[in-house]
Amino acid sequence: MMHSSSHSNARSSIFASIRENLAKSEPFNEEHQEAKSEPRTGVLFVETNTSEVFRESLEMVGAKCTFVENEIEAADRLRSIVGDRSATEIIVSDSELVHRIVNAAGINAIQDASRDELFSSAIGITSAQWAIAETGTLVLESGAERHRLASLVPPVHVCIVTTSSIRQSMAEILKLMDPDANRAITFVTGASRTSDIELTLAIGVHGPGELYVVVIKDQ
Amino acid sequence: MSTTHATSETFDRNARAALADPVLHGALRNLADSFVVRRRNAIASAGDWEDLRERARSIKDETLLHLDEYLERFTENAEKAGSTIHWARDGKEACEIVLGLVRAQNANMVVKAKSMAGEEIHLNEALEAAGIEPVETDLGEWIIQLAGETPSHIVVPAIHKTKQQIADLFVEKVGIEKTDNVDVLTQTARRILRQRFAEAQVGISGVNFGVAETGTILILENEGNIRLTTSLTKTHIAVMGIEKVIPKFADLDVFLKLLPRSGTGQRLTAYQSLITGVKNNADDIGPDELHIVMLDNGRSRMLAHPLTRQSLACIRCGACLNACPVYQQIGGHAYGSVYPGPIGAVITPQLFGLSKAKQLPYASSLCGACREVCPVKIDIPALLLHLRSEIAEGSTRESQPTRKLGESIAFRMYSRIWSRSGTYALSIRAARLAQRFVARNGKIGKVSGMLALLVPPLGAWTERRDAPVVAPKSFREMWREKKK
Ligand code: SF4
Repeated sequence: MMHSSSHSNARSSIFASIRENLAKSEPFNEEHQEAKSEPRTGVLFVETNTSEVFRESLEMVGAKCTFVENEIEAADRLRSIVGDRSATEIIVSDSELVHRIVNAAGINAIQDASRDELFSSAIGITSAQWAIAETGTLVLESGAERHRLASLVPPVHVCIVTTSSIRQSMAEILKLMDPDANRAITFVTGASRTSDIELTLAIGVHGPGELYVVVIKDQ
Repeated sequence: MSTTHATSETFDRNARAALADPVLHGALRNLADSFVVRRRNAIASAGDWEDLRERARSIKDETLLHLDEYLERFTENAEKAGSTIHWARDGKEACEIVLGLVRAQNANMVVKAKSMAGEEIHLNEALEAAGIEPVETDLGEWIIQLAGETPSHIVVPAIHKTKQQIADLFVEKVGIEKTDNVDVLTQTARRILRQRFAEAQVGISGVNFGVAETGTILILENEGNIRLTTSLTKTHIAVMGIEKVIPKFADLDVFLKLLPRSGTGQRLTAYQSLITGVKNNADDIGPDELHIVMLDNGRSRMLAHPLTRQSLACIRCGACLNACPVYQQIGGHAYGSVYPGPIGAVITPQLFGLSKAKQLPYASSLCGACREVCPVKIDIPALLLHLRSEIAEGSTRESQPTRKLGESIAFRMYSRIWSRSGTYALSIRAARLAQRFVARNGKIGKVSGMLALLVPPLGAWTERRDAPVVAPKSFREMWREKKK
């Protein structure tokens, strides 16, 4: 592998340079200053309806959001999104929730799609482990579900979440994350977009151009 | 465009050429209108903005003061999760490491996600020279690559190009029908780049934040090309400046509030990928290898002084470019550096040498707009002054920006006349008489000929802007009249 002597040379000379230059710096404070990471005004606890906030945030970023009472209703909603597409156009992650709903809807879909199937698919259906109300963000954890590509490659992404997975803020979500168990965590807020041409918004450049979120109310 | 291959040494000339380029002005006019307004609206939704800025800066200050410890912690945790860490003292070493990794995969093509560090070390040129095709996948970067140009903005690389120019480029290079529809142009890029993604084995990206506590790298984007680059390939190579490390996972909250709002005026960009080492299950999706190339390239030198050290707190949001009246007029290419605008004027001389970029610290009126918008409160004007004084002190006469002989005589004269009140009053009265011949509507327009020669630097000043006239009465005169 790459661990030649030049590797250790480069490493030690970079560290030497860092230490040397820091030592030159005046005033040099050896003590760690506790970085000011807590907000100055303790976060005001506001009783908010996170589901409602989540819905508004999703609308702001152009996602299409539906709240349903149960999995049967979720299946109905899914059927209307999928329309009359064929099985080869629909791919799903390995989420049990997704499988139950896809089956209830009578939809045929492919799990563990090959690269060819992925690239020719029309819809990807996944769930999300968490959601952030104040930004309308879906949180996908790789350790819980294999949704990295199903949520990304097809032009349409349908994501099924439950109300109990919604949290108010990013700060709360970061505290819940376990990056060692989830080697890839993806935050998704709305559809793929770009403003690279004359700062004009264009949707669906590399990722999905449409994002549907189906929120199931927990009993 | 003539400014494309401009270097920092010739900033004055580049800036003049840019000012005279009407197409460039057309392209840049959106900048102030859209970005500045979007940013203002977005920060209103962030709660206590000042508090966020202070927290972000204090996190960066703490990290930089103990950069060695945090780097040790970051790399140790990243390795524990299966990443391979590489160290590069400079751009050449970094390119060699990347080339070695790409060759080890027998790849003759790589997909690339936008990375300023990659631009800084001229990675594309190194790859091409080694017979490996780099494919830029960010829409703006791809446009730039098709055009054979360099980025002119750190967030929107093709901001200097108009829709018309991009359409013409696509007609010429990828053979589409002429169109002025941005959606059609965007879908063309999607279609063509999809094929490249499907065949890619190696992906190269940058890093926005590296978390010491967990060894995680976080990359933000809107398009999805970074997600494709980092999840479809077998080998992911991330080039990371050593200043990108932050202590804790929870610290990401502050930066995720500040960066999208400052950069593009969004509450959050469409995607954030938080990648910790490699998959811990062979069946999982994602690369088998993650290589992180830690790049110094002049950064450790900046730690030596508290003033220069703050340049390393920059999170590359681009807000200072958008807010800068100089950047708004001349765009990014005139700076002749991968880092343009106010932050570029500060870090280009520090990274690549003061002697190569002597004019850049003067490319500012010190109006302070950059300092005001900077999410990590970098005092860019103070840094510019610091660099100016280094240029003035440390160097020989010819290294100073050249001032014409006439001007330096004039400035000596002005300082004589204006340091005594009697001669000052006399000169003002003379100016009031003289300006009658040139002033219109209280302003002096373009001055040339004899007058420009007699009153330097009036000619140069009025070349591109009006000069205000001397007021009919001074404050002192009005004061005296009132007291009577
Ligand atoms: S200096 Fe500040 S405003 Fe400019 S790019 Fe860096 S973080 Fe953004």
